[in-house]
Amino acid sequence: MKYLLSFLLIALFAFPTHADDIETRIKNLEEALKSKEQDALSSKGVFGGSALMNPNISLILDTLFYSSNLSPSELEEREISGYMHEEFETKKGFNLESAELFFFAPVDPYFNLYVTIPVTEEEVELEEAYFVTTSLPAGFQLKGGKFKSGFGRLNSQHRHNWDFADPPLPYSAFLGGEGLIEKGVQVTYLPALPFYTELGFEALQGENEVLFREDAATGPRAYAAFAKASLDLDDKSTLLFGPSVAFGKTDTGTIEEDTRFEGDSTLWGLELTYKWTFSDKKAFKLQAEYLFRDQDGDFTDADENVSNLEREQDGYYVQAVYQVDRWRLGARYDGLGLFKDKYVLDGQSEDFRTPWRATAAIEYNPSEFTRLRLQYNHDRSLGGGETNREVFLQAVFGIGAHAAHKF
Amino acid sequence: MLIKAFLALFTTLLLSGPALAAELNVLATLPWIGSIAKDIGGDRVSVTVLVKPNQDPHHIEARPSMISAARKADIVMFNGLDLEIGYLPVIIESSRNPKIQPGNPGYLDCSRFVEAIEIDFKADRSQGDVHPLGNPHYHLSTSRMGKVGRGIAEALSALDSGNRALYMANLATFEKKLAERRKEWDGRLKGKNYVAFHRFFEYLAADLGFRITGYIEQRPGIPPSSGHMAGLVASMSREEPNALITTSYHGGKAADFLSKKTGVKTIVLPHEVGSREGIDDWFDLVDRIVHDLSGE
Repeated sequence: MKYLLSFLLIALFAFPTHADDIETRIKNLEEALKSKEQDALSSKGVFGGSALMNPNISLILDTLFYSSNLSPSELEEREISGYMHEEFETKKGFNLESAELFFFAPVDPYFNLYVTIPVTEEEVELEEAYFVTTSLPAGFQLKGGKFKSGFGRLNSQHRHNWDFADPPLPYSAFLGGEGLIEKGVQVTYLPALPFYTELGFEALQGENEVLFREDAATGPRAYAAFAKASLDLDDKSTLLFGPSVAFGKTDTGTIEEDTRFEGDSTLWGLELTYKWTFSDKKAFKLQAEYLFRDQDGDFTDADENVSNLEREQDGYYVQAVYQVDRWRLGARYDGLGLFKDKYVLDGQSEDFRTPWRATAAIEYNPSEFTRLRLQYNHDRSLGGGETNREVFLQAVFGIGAHAAHKF
Repeated sequence: MLIKAFLALFTTLLLSGPALAAELNVLATLPWIGSIAKDIGGDRVSVTVLVKPNQDPHHIEARPSMISAARKADIVMFNGLDLEIGYLPVIIESSRNPKIQPGNPGYLDCSRFVEAIEIDFKADRSQGDVHPLGNPHYHLSTSRMGKVGRGIAEALSALDSGNRALYMANLATFEKKLAERRKEWDGRLKGKNYVAFHRFFEYLAADLGFRITGYIEQRPGIPPSSGHMAGLVASMSREEPNALITTSYHGGKAADFLSKKTGVKTIVLPHEVGSREGIDDWFDLVDRIVHDLSGE
């Protein structure tokens, strides 16, 4: 840099010039400096390379204010009777959901790498860490590591991209709050058809604590498969739909407190999304999923009595979002036990109340990187039969690299 | 004998088939890129465009059908400078098409061929949805389009070297037409002043010698504050620009308000090839904009 400057200065002053040339020369000098400035931006570090060789990094802060008519102890003990028992972690008042780090970059010409690290007040989690191939022929792609399964619609989306602050009842009941995030491999195939069709198969460790088992000692214990098809109805509206299935060995304590269940589980899913973007400022989205879980195995109750348990239960949600400019209005209705509500313990059929919930939400997004949401749930899913009237005030902020959005 | 003849026929078909029939599948993100790809590729290319002419290029969502289109592409041509950052990376990765992955000859960032203006590496998002790599709307630059045409011709030649002569001939025709039109466009808007909604016409202004003296949008992607609007009313009343210019998807209400307050007329300019009837290629687009701006 110094040498270059002195060289330029010498060049400027060493040769006699006409007055009108000076201006051009100054201009040249300025330009030379500018290009040096550009070089400085990609300056070499100790280990070589440049700043541009860093992965793309973004950070998403998800904060929440929560309020409910129930007492903290009632909230803590809440469970969906006959479906599942899981600790409810959201506290009344201020909550810090997470500050989520997201890294992504190509590894080499053959792989892209994605890593999601949500940091909460208590822990640092490795939620996702996976590679995706980019160069396989014939429409195949391989994903491996730890990733959100392609099962269903909401499951593979990041929580902060959801249209509501909390998961719908069938997800909570059959997969738990986190969804199906597993270690394993995924193969997908995109045939060269006139319309979009994606077929996928996954071999998974099977560590979902609700559907499979926490900390599986051997694997793969679970498998998943899915198909998704999409049609453009016209220039402005698109339909995406398809079936999914996940099945495997189950060993879980989430049905009731102090119990154990060992057996086989199959979870079926159907998804449908319809998006209608009728102008640059207005859009409408309708999304629905139907989940059905079939389970058979040995149930060990709190008194160590073992008996056969058979569960065939289903659940669904339907949600609509209407967007006008920076505002989004959402409504959701979700429930369990729509067509199937079978719970047979030791030959005895048991009946539980039919859980349902109605939700309304309003969002204001000052920019693409900020989301402010007010949500109300009228929740009739609790085992005790009490109504949970809950309010979420959520604020999500994103800084750093701009990741592309999936459909 | 019959088998031999059949084999010979089969071999001939196999060898000649691709050379005769297979056109290059070009996937262009924006209509103007598709237009130039057609000019250079002629009937050797089949062009698919992802973004519709009436859409706002800043707010595009990846649709699964775009992934299907990318699956079949021999080359993807895009604007670059982060204009497509919200949807193109996911389309390219999901396409499972090795030909169009970054680093391959089928991955063509058209901004590579132009010198961007308004580069600001120190920018952050407090200034709105900024583009640190520079103003991405170079598609209206009459001085840069020749280089884009040449870049596209080179890229097509690299993929389909047998037809290099054809692409270069088409490029020569394109360059000649560009030189002729530039003579018509140059000077017609010299000295004029406009107020614009978005930083969309800066390249054209620099090339054709008009000035943009103010913006309705203080920060890209963020609606203007009332204080800023009041300031604009004052400055526009004082400076009396030739017109207020915007596009069909940007700030209709704000522009109408300012027009009413100041008496400065609003011109809604076509922003893309195909956005109005009669705008069938890039030359038509610039023709129409120059025509509308000069008020003839």
